[in-house]
Amino acid sequence: MNQFTFEGKTRSMLIGGIILGVVSMLLTLFAGGEMASTRFWSNFLHNATFFLGIGFMAAFAMSVWITAWSGWFVMSKRVFEALASFMGLGGIFMLIIAIGNYAGFHHLYHWADAEAVAGDPVLQGKSAFLNKHMYLLATVAFVGMWWFMNKKIRDYSVDEDTNGRFGDFKHMYSTRKWAAGYLAIAGYSSAIIIWLWLMSIDAHWYSTMYAWYAGSSWWVSMLAFAILIIIYLKSKGALPNLNEDVIHDLGKFLFGFSVFWTYLWFSQFMLIWYGNVGEETIYFHTRINEYPFLFYLIIVLNFPIPFLVLMSNSNKRKMGTMVFTSIVVIIGHWLDFFLMIKPGVRHTAMEHLAHAEHATAAHTEGGHEVAHEVVEHVSHFAAGFTLPGFLELGTFIGFLSLFLFVVFNTLSKAALEPANDPFIEEAKHHHV
Amino acid sequence: MKTKKNIVFGLYDDEQDLLKAVKVSNERGLKIYDVYSPFPIHGLDPLLGLKESRLHIVGFIFGTLGAMTAFFFMSWIFKIDWPNVFGGKAFLPTPAFIPITFELTVLFAGIGMVVTYFIVNGLSMKAETEVLHDRISDDKFCLAYDVTGTAFEHTNAYESLLNDTGATFVSSKEMSDL
Repeated sequence: MNQFTFEGKTRSMLIGGIILGVVSMLLTLFAGGEMASTRFWSNFLHNATFFLGIGFMAAFAMSVWITAWSGWFVMSKRVFEALASFMGLGGIFMLIIAIGNYAGFHHLYHWADAEAVAGDPVLQGKSAFLNKHMYLLATVAFVGMWWFMNKKIRDYSVDEDTNGRFGDFKHMYSTRKWAAGYLAIAGYSSAIIIWLWLMSIDAHWYSTMYAWYAGSSWWVSMLAFAILIIIYLKSKGALPNLNEDVIHDLGKFLFGFSVFWTYLWFSQFMLIWYGNVGEETIYFHTRINEYPFLFYLIIVLNFPIPFLVLMSNSNKRKMGTMVFTSIVVIIGHWLDFFLMIKPGVRHTAMEHLAHAEHATAAHTEGGHEVAHEVVEHVSHFAAGFTLPGFLELGTFIGFLSLFLFVVFNTLSKAALEPANDPFIEEAKHHHV
Repeated sequence: MKTKKNIVFGLYDDEQDLLKAVKVSNERGLKIYDVYSPFPIHGLDPLLGLKESRLHIVGFIFGTLGAMTAFFFMSWIFKIDWPNVFGGKAFLPTPAFIPITFELTVLFAGIGMVVTYFIVNGLSMKAETEVLHDRISDDKFCLAYDVTGTAFEHTNAYESLLNDTGATFVSSKEMSDL
């Protein structure tokens, strides 16, 4: 079975998931409450960046391996190509958010509020970079470039199946040029785009490790998805020549980069904790005091579990263990993104509401108290902000189904085994 | 008093020849005493039926020991023995302990594994090892059989296998237990 067919039960299940997601998002938007719109848009941003990042990292991984003359991953390269194909749709989602900055769909970003910037010297100082035009420009230019270069890599790869032949390296050399270019551009642009999309939510705060930290979250989730899809395909009898040594190697990656993520997470935390500068510690102060459960849960899910489970050699060769760890890690990193986004978004929205209330109540005696009370709400529990509620779960399932729909659709477009790749024999006989 | 062993061995020029010889040997049901090679050979372990090394378990135990030593020692110093305020932090500033805990984990695991390896293999500064042939640590690949107490006609089977599979040098040597 060299051709993946995407139909029947899997297809209808994923369509069901997408419908569930759409219903959840509509419920979030129209269920009422003063924070409904913010909850909707922050969920949208959360899932769009999470899955777009996974696509981006799949293309990044392929580029690294192609540039490094790797042979082992070639048997599974269609899976990575399929994961990367979500970048197009993810880019459109981010474009909606970028346009939303102009059209006033949402109040995700403090710096996008002209009134707030006018009275805030810190935001004024950053306004050369943190502004609507830069956000739109970076989103369009960078995601556009990623998408285009990935498309080139994919096109050469698929074309090789029909027009390539044994001993012909033409496709490989062309692919290498685009892969090397992708590395050079993606390395810098991903950091810039993470600052804009995610770090700027806490507009006053910054951390030089943030881009790496968020990027490694994407990378680990991408590996987990690749492992899950490869195991799924193998359970269907596809990819017979992909031996378990490849999954073993991906398991090593998952193990290693889980440790890498922890290293970045902890370094960021410890430097800020040690430095003890008020405007930096506020980030962790908020998260430890108001989100203690999530804060510690994320560390447990993303470090001790993959570390201890994947430590032994034989566990990386057990499919059940690999599936379990991959799912845990995906949930862990999704929650990690939740905690990156929600506290800042909530704070911005609260201030915005307080400001609006203040404007209407400015001339009454109780005006200040009303405004004060609204800000006080920040520390109270709110489903969808303090913890993910059912609507967040539904939205996640929706985006996940859409993501898998795109991935399986791309998988079904080309042969699973790239028969004419120069490295195919090496991949077949890969041995660790 | 160590018992003497009678070893029949052959030298090969290439590791692929050695791998083939091991396969043929397994087919003929001859029990291999040991294989010597200047470098690790891919795919040799399963052919010889070697089990996975348990050295990494030792590494884990020593690593855990190192982590606990570092963490509890520092906790004892800063909390109990000599409480001191550094930079306005608490008496038990756990985040500050993590880097050192990590370093000692690696140190203990590394040294613990080396020491265990030396002890298990009986290596010390006074250890003396007889070598079958000088070139097995240089550029030759050696396949050895223990033929102590084997009748002559059976010894012949080992030698003919070594010759059949392209050994460039076949010999026997009496040596104390390796």
